[in-house]
Amino acid sequence: MQVSEIIKLSPIRVFEDVIDGGLGRGNVGVLASRRGVGKTACLVHLAIDKLLREEHVVHVSFNGNVEHVLNWYKEVFREISEYKSLDDAFDVYNTLRRNRVVMNFSQEDVSVDKILASLTTLIEQGSFKADAVLFDGYKLTLASADDVKKIKVFAEKMNVEIWCSVSPVRLNVEFDDYGIPNSMLPYVDSIDVLCGLKYNEGDSKVIMTVVKDGDKRIAKPTGVALDPKTMLVSK
Amino acid sequence: MTNELEKMRNIGISAHIDSGKTTLTERILYYCNRIHAIHEVRGKDGVGATMDSMELEKERGITIASAATNVNWKGYEVNVIDTPGHVDFTIEVERSLRVLDGAILVLCSVGGVQSQSITVDRQMNRYKVPRVAFINKCDRTGANPYRVVNQLREKLNLNAVMMEIPIGLEDKLEGVVDLVQMKAIYFEGLSGDELRIEEIPESLRDEAERKREELLDRVSTVDDDVMELALEGEDIPQELLEKAIRKGTISLELCPVFLGSAHKNKGIQPLLDGVVKYLPNPTEVRNVALDLDDNENEVELVSDENLPKVILAFKLEDGQYGQLTYIRVYQGRLKKGDELFNTRSKKKFKVGRLIKMHASDMEDITDVGCGEIAALFGVECASGDTFVDPSLNYTMTSMFVPTPVISLAINPVDKKSADNMAKALNRFSKEDPTFQTYVDPESNQTIIKGMGELHLEVYIERMKREYKAEVEIGRPEVAYREAITERAEFNYTHKKQSGGSGQFARVAGYIEPIADEDVDENGDRKDYDYVSKIKGGAIPTEYIPSCDKGFQQAIKKGPQLGFPIVGVRCVVNDGAYHPVDSSDMAFQLAAIGAFKEVFPKAKPSILEPIMKVSIESPSEFQGGIFATINQRRGMIISSNEENNTCRIDAEVPLSEMFGYSTALRSMSQGKAEFTMELLRYSKAPVSISDELKKNYAEKNKSK
Repeated sequence: MQVSEIIKLSPIRVFEDVIDGGLGRGNVGVLASRRGVGKTACLVHLAIDKLLREEHVVHVSFNGNVEHVLNWYKEVFREISEYKSLDDAFDVYNTLRRNRVVMNFSQEDVSVDKILASLTTLIEQGSFKADAVLFDGYKLTLASADDVKKIKVFAEKMNVEIWCSVSPVRLNVEFDDYGIPNSMLPYVDSIDVLCGLKYNEGDSKVIMTVVKDGDKRIAKPTGVALDPKTMLVSK
Repeated sequence: MTNELEKMRNIGISAHIDSGKTTLTERILYYCNRIHAIHEVRGKDGVGATMDSMELEKERGITIASAATNVNWKGYEVNVIDTPGHVDFTIEVERSLRVLDGAILVLCSVGGVQSQSITVDRQMNRYKVPRVAFINKCDRTGANPYRVVNQLREKLNLNAVMMEIPIGLEDKLEGVVDLVQMKAIYFEGLSGDELRIEEIPESLRDEAERKREELLDRVSTVDDDVMELALEGEDIPQELLEKAIRKGTISLELCPVFLGSAHKNKGIQPLLDGVVKYLPNPTEVRNVALDLDDNENEVELVSDENLPKVILAFKLEDGQYGQLTYIRVYQGRLKKGDELFNTRSKKKFKVGRLIKMHASDMEDITDVGCGEIAALFGVECASGDTFVDPSLNYTMTSMFVPTPVISLAINPVDKKSADNMAKALNRFSKEDPTFQTYVDPESNQTIIKGMGELHLEVYIERMKREYKAEVEIGRPEVAYREAITERAEFNYTHKKQSGGSGQFARVAGYIEPIADEDVDENGDRKDYDYVSKIKGGAIPTEYIPSCDKGFQQAIKKGPQLGFPIVGVRCVVNDGAYHPVDSSDMAFQLAAIGAFKEVFPKAKPSILEPIMKVSIESPSEFQGGIFATINQRRGMIISSNEENNTCRIDAEVPLSEMFGYSTALRSMSQGKAEFTMELLRYSKAPVSISDELKKNYAEKNKSK
């Protein structure tokens, strides 16, 4: 199979159709859920989809070991390329690596200003033409409404698409039916797309539901779920 | 002399540059009473640390060659091997690791796990070396051993267990709390020689209890006895706990962490106790050799003094009195006057002087038992040779030797320098397998090859200082490779049947690139493959290997740049012969001719070495560093920020890295440093390879 076919048949297309053709540049999207539901895999799948389309992606992580992140990409790519028996998978992966930078912050309490400054440095001085930025596991629930606004302003100024994965750190958090923690509510306004992930015991799949799209605040099923085995987005 | 093997430890000390391992080694020697005064590495007394024996090392404040030295701690015999910290010298580190049974990984309590620590750790994993960690420089401002322990877990995936917690930090560092004995240890006296053992101070009680709990948790995962007692909430006897930690350390499941400050003489004695308690003795490590008489099958070596001798020469040094060969005895007992057989050179020799080394001083001994490290005088050999009892024909597994990536032409300035240079080169290439030298037959220049600019610079310096050989240096050159990208068919006839004995051979088949995924058991891509699909005797069986030989000859020098051709599979599927005129030589020449003819048809390309570059710097220079990588056709893999320092990992072609240290230094006010190592060969962009080909063609024309 060719790269173009993989892109066309990707379940991400189904997801994008629900939010009217994708998140789009200058916008901020959030995937929220309890811990351990599979947000990282989901983010990496989104990133690889962009990389296959020759877009440039910055993956921002906060876990202290860059190798883990790189391994996620390797694994998710292997899953996709083997499942669809991609032609020249080795070469495709090598090109894909060129367009990806992992930016890791080992500090627990790194400020949004610092992260955005480093991203700006990379894009401007490192001449890295980022099309999308992914924040993997940033503690957005601890951030102030102001911080989230800064991220939104950055997305607009740099003309990039930003996806964040969020899980709450506090224990006394309540989740709604779609997996959205209530600690997110103060910032919902600065977010363009909010998507909840929730484990459904019935069919043992993680259900993805869009609860906010632009100005609309209604729950829309996305028609996609996370496959429990590979943790990838699937129909 | 201690003869009991249980009371012997062969350990190495490796770490990032400047984390203080030479100072630590110095203190170890001092406490074991081998030296009478402590000298600083960059000391005012002008003596310098005892281990840095080479003059150049003293001047640059770095350790280049690993000296082996023997000390005694509480009745245990400990062989300490000091290893260099700079990545350009990793062959030294690798060779030392080969003969070690255990190691101390030294980390700076401020800098933490740095890029070099990661490289060293990877090497230790390759040779399965059990290790304990020592977090040094706890007296420095910004010291945070807890953060370093987390890094050991996260960045190196080690199951790090704190054996101690500090009493005070930075300038208030007084001592440590031993979590196994649950006692406070203070270091007193002028050089910390006197230990004062007391109850744990009240302010640290809770902290100590908590950390001991964590220690028990981690040890429980590797030892059932400890787990049972811990679950039942019973006291765990010290002996049992130590036994469990030892077991976990040797099986690489645990990494005990000690801390202190070598410079301030704090925490060294407990570390030495830890070395003898937790690191393995020679009998607890499995060593194998290959039997050359039995198809290179593995044979296990047993630390038994009555068995025939097996000895490895792991390091050569040029001393005042001739060549010094550092050896480790793996099996048997070696006595002065014994006869040994070198399985590489197939030569027998008699053991003359046998000595034990203490950095620059030496001690004559009469015999040496298994597990021990000693040195021989005046033995003609190369580093990595195996010496055995003449009744055996074993070779120790060949050590992993990285390929040199950079070369430099050197020209002696006068006749005297030329003689000295030859002597020096002969010595260096024997000492260090990654340093190679040859005379280019075309330009008649002497070429030296090595692992990086600094690597070669150090040897040129040594040539000047130790051998008085002044040389002019040419421009550094990258070791490129040539490759093909497509399959192409050949059908070639070699014929010479006019006068004299004739030659005739025809070979047909194809050449194709070996896929990147097609790797051997070590994960390396094969450089060359030969397949014969001859059926029905189109080429007689005895000439099939001749074609192989011919192809191997042909790939030595590619037509584009004159560099070796790699990643090519030659397949022969048809041919013809002549009952009289065909010969081994005819088929070799046919294969060479066929290869030369078909190579340009297979879309040849140029491969260039890509380096894995790690840069560490204060965060403020991040932008500048990104820019330097970008300007050098580099690819940023990741950046990692922590407390105002950042580490950037990138992949950059070697040809763009010349002069990088200067560029980086001037850009960062000297605060950034970098390391690099060969990652892989990868296809050079067309614009670059066209330029290279043009230059090569012009150079050849001008001759």
